[in-house]
Amino acid sequence: MSFIARTLKPTALLARTTRLASRLYASEATGTSAGKLIVNFVLPHAALMKGTEVNQVDMSAVSGDLGVLADHVPTIEQLKPGVIDFISDSGSQKYFVSGGFAIMNPNSVLNINAVEAFKLEDIDPQAVAANLSESQRLATSAKDNVTKEAAAIEVELYESLQSALSGKAK
Amino acid sequence: MSFAWRAAGMNYLQYSSIAARALRRVAKVELQTEIAKREGMLLKFAKWEGGKSGAYNSVPTIETRHKAQD
Repeated sequence: MSFIARTLKPTALLARTTRLASRLYASEATGTSAGKLIVNFVLPHAALMKGTEVNQVDMSAVSGDLGVLADHVPTIEQLKPGVIDFISDSGSQKYFVSGGFAIMNPNSVLNINAVEAFKLEDIDPQAVAANLSESQRLATSAKDNVTKEAAAIEVELYESLQSALSGKAK
Repeated sequence: MSFAWRAAGMNYLQYSSIAARALRRVAKVELQTEIAKREGMLLKFAKWEGGKSGAYNSVPTIETRHKAQD
């Protein structure tokens, strides 16, 4: 909070608050996007999508799972390690991301930043199972708290990945 | 929002690199040579005072596997 107070003058902060309050529902959007969501999906080493038009994006954020359509209310969400499903006319494309941020702009442009992302078919299920049990072992047996928490982060990721892979098989 | 990893003294950079490394480990074998090129990122920082740089510090990497297994 002190960071915001330092960087924004009180008047600027007020202006920002009023602008945010001016639009709270998708139905109030100006509707310039013709029902399509424009996605930019970038990793530090690659741009996986650049101005790609889709109908819907499903992702799991720290605040809960969400599906985003065109003209979504502007928001920023922190992503959990999980699947992002890009649904377009030609079908659905699923990526597993290690975590990142999704930034929904007012003009139906959705920017997704992640550190690492793979398509589900590029994941080795056996490696997931082996690494999950190794991380689980470490999460219970590690001596120091930091290693324990680091292993817990991995356990959460591998469990989420495993359920995503088994969901695909059904 | 409170996170267990933050309570343990980790920052978001460390958290996100642990998760990214965990995901890289389980990619299919044929992708691993390409992935190895982007492994091991490092962040160094220094505090500048009066136009002079202070000592460089780095954000420590938290290991969860022995080097041989990585």
